[in-house]
Amino acid sequence: MTATVTRAIPTDATQCARILAQAAADRRTVRIRGSGTKSYLGDVGATDIELGTERVAGVIDHVPADLTVTVGAGTRMADLKVALEKAGQFIPLDPPHADGATVGGLIAANSNGFWRVRYGGVRDLLIGTRTALADGTVARAGGRVVKNVAGYDLDKLLVGSLGTLGVIVEATFKVLPLPETSDGLVARFDRPAEAFAVAHAIVRAAARVEACVVERTVEGWCVAVQARGSGPTVMRAMSDARQEVAARHGDAAELADAIDRMRELPARATDGALVKVSLPVAASAAFAENAERLESFAALAVDAASGVARVHLANEDDAVIRDAEALLLAARMVGGNGRVERRAEQLRSRLSTWPNRPNGDFLMRRVKEAFDPARILEPGRLAFA
Amino acid sequence: MRGLVALLGPAKVLGTHDDLLLYEYDGAVDTATPDAVVLPDSTADVSALARFCHENAVPIVPRGAGTGLSGGAIPVEGGVVVSFARMARILEIDVPNLRAVVQPGVINLHLSTAVAPHGLYFVPDPSSQKACTLGGNVAENSGGPHTLAYGVTTNHVTGIEIVVSDGTVVRLGGKAVEDEGYDLVGTFVGSEGTLGLVTEITVKLTPLPEDKRTLMAAFPTMDEASETVSAIIAAGIVPSAIEMMDQLATQAVEAAVHAGYPLNAGGILLVEVDGPRDGLDEARARIEQICRDHAAREVRVATSALERERLWAGRKGAFAAMGRLSPDYYVQDGVIPRTRLPDILRLVKDAGARHRLRVANVFHAGDGNLHPLILFDSRLGPDELERAKAAGLEILTACVEAGGSITGEHGVGMEKNCYMPLQFQSSDLAAMRRVKNAFDPPGLMNPGKIFPTPSRCREFAFASTTR
Repeated sequence: MTATVTRAIPTDATQCARILAQAAADRRTVRIRGSGTKSYLGDVGATDIELGTERVAGVIDHVPADLTVTVGAGTRMADLKVALEKAGQFIPLDPPHADGATVGGLIAANSNGFWRVRYGGVRDLLIGTRTALADGTVARAGGRVVKNVAGYDLDKLLVGSLGTLGVIVEATFKVLPLPETSDGLVARFDRPAEAFAVAHAIVRAAARVEACVVERTVEGWCVAVQARGSGPTVMRAMSDARQEVAARHGDAAELADAIDRMRELPARATDGALVKVSLPVAASAAFAENAERLESFAALAVDAASGVARVHLANEDDAVIRDAEALLLAARMVGGNGRVERRAEQLRSRLSTWPNRPNGDFLMRRVKEAFDPARILEPGRLAFA
Repeated sequence: MRGLVALLGPAKVLGTHDDLLLYEYDGAVDTATPDAVVLPDSTADVSALARFCHENAVPIVPRGAGTGLSGGAIPVEGGVVVSFARMARILEIDVPNLRAVVQPGVINLHLSTAVAPHGLYFVPDPSSQKACTLGGNVAENSGGPHTLAYGVTTNHVTGIEIVVSDGTVVRLGGKAVEDEGYDLVGTFVGSEGTLGLVTEITVKLTPLPEDKRTLMAAFPTMDEASETVSAIIAAGIVPSAIEMMDQLATQAVEAAVHAGYPLNAGGILLVEVDGPRDGLDEARARIEQICRDHAAREVRVATSALERERLWAGRKGAFAAMGRLSPDYYVQDGVIPRTRLPDILRLVKDAGARHRLRVANVFHAGDGNLHPLILFDSRLGPDELERAKAAGLEILTACVEAGGSITGEHGVGMEKNCYMPLQFQSSDLAAMRRVKNAFDPPGLMNPGKIFPTPSRCREFAFASTTR
């Protein structure tokens, strides 16, 4: 990082676009910052300008009866939650870094929690965006209606783009009425096979749960389940879940804050490396069992419904690097993929985020070139683009 | 022609006048004759064809079953139509991972039928699902009545294999829910054949709901029916479907299908809730009460699978039943925020009256996706279709002004590409162009679709909307 980073804090989309156009003309590189909770993502290089989104914040439009909300990208998820609760609604996304994360960062990082099984992920709930582009224009995609196929779905392109295509300044999401009731449990198991069998049975049961996570810590294997919704559906979901747990001799207890703790694994994993993989769901049990046997294994949390798993590795650097690469290879072998989501500062030069290129990377490079020909946006963040 | 036959063999190329005539139309109103039709039976064929067209600068237009409603499969700038009729195999049903891998020519309903023994189904269910193909669903990002709770095609596709315009085969995504890098799967779905040809699709399979409750409610006017829709959603109930029908549509449906809809109702709602058995009757009772609170004259709950099918047969057969009212119809597909339903529906009626045409409404009310069927009779002269299109344009303009979209599930195609500037500013369209150029630099993939073309859109010089 260079010593002289200029900070730019635009107050609207037009001003934001103007800053980018000027930066492109001057060949000055730009890093985008919401609240900085996920600044560890990717392989960031030296940047000249840090563009903050804190002044493009706040609820722009919320029509409760339409179940949509439009907000500035700098809005913190925690603030949006409070605003929606006043109308008896919520945004059905539960990203990690729940306290600080901004809406723009959530989209750019495709930051999902465990609710995806029930409500869909960022890509499914985002229905519109306004984005400042490097040529100084502002492009709108999608809209404020829940169904829309007019033109290309540029919202999808922005989800997970890590700021490399433009600065998201405004976003519209689907929202839902707050559920009536909530219940949950956490159950301990002696063996991972039992934990996964129970978790997979629960996510496929008729009564859909909101989250179902398998965790392995020093204390052993456990499955955490949460159901929210109307009284009868929650009661049914939890009664089915308890039966599954009992059938495999699990030891069930109160949920307490187990799910929140599992979700925040990325926030805690500041040492060693955190590997995130996305797997075909049926492959996640064997993957987790293998991960547990690694020399540098510290903890893991698997979203049983989506097959997204995070493994925290902490040990000597050489062991962490070896194990991280082994996990990513294992994911690829079963048709999944992954990244080194977070690693300690001293590992940055030795362990890249993506040891391998994804399929279609030549198309990604062409897309990047089309949106940011001067390559000023987030240089290095998405190495293969 | 000769080059294509040399490349692929005579069995895969059609070129006689009679053959070509069969490929000049789809489910919409525009037609154009292709220069040749190719029927590939493998990805290798598609790749070779794309390379050939790339070298000879020939446009390629993909075609599934030709049921599209926006002229997406029409070769408006000539070239080769690629029919995927021979790439119609289900390659894999992966029950443990809840995925199926299919070729693009597989018919939508056939997939759900094939996976039903495993207690699974494919969620998107366009009204044309007995005929339309999954390749076409990917191209158009198709919806259907049951997408209100469970999403449209893009929410159910995790992987694709595509052939881009120079013939390169690219596999994107797979069975996992996420892939690294840009979400090119999500970008491709709904691109209407303009970014490449899809040759293989990995879709999500969903466990069939344990049970359902279906009810039909009849209201004095469309206003009460519309307000009921908002009230149901606001009550925190997310039905799997909320469909609405006006009196004219009801009359046509009853004459054709005998679904048992009351003929004297000004507006009819068909509402379905599904999920675990527990709570379904409670949800049904709440919906019933909301309907009665909004002046419903009659609420009928299906008490058997047969009764449910009968209620749905009316809805699914509605477009076909329009033949009873008029020899031709022109269907629009605008979307509005649900809360604007009453005033926009009045406007739809007025637009029809202004152009001396009747309009029937059968649509996905739950997500604000209108389907006004503008009835006309082409035998009375070309003026009829022109008036229908003029009324359609007024309706779409109103949808955009209400904060909505010109299309919810039928696509832009060549039918509405001139209307894109109603909804998007030039900078918005320029951003889409960047994506087009990245995937298809020579512009050979389904040209003349989505983007306004100077030759055909001269008369539509909209002032760019300022929002």
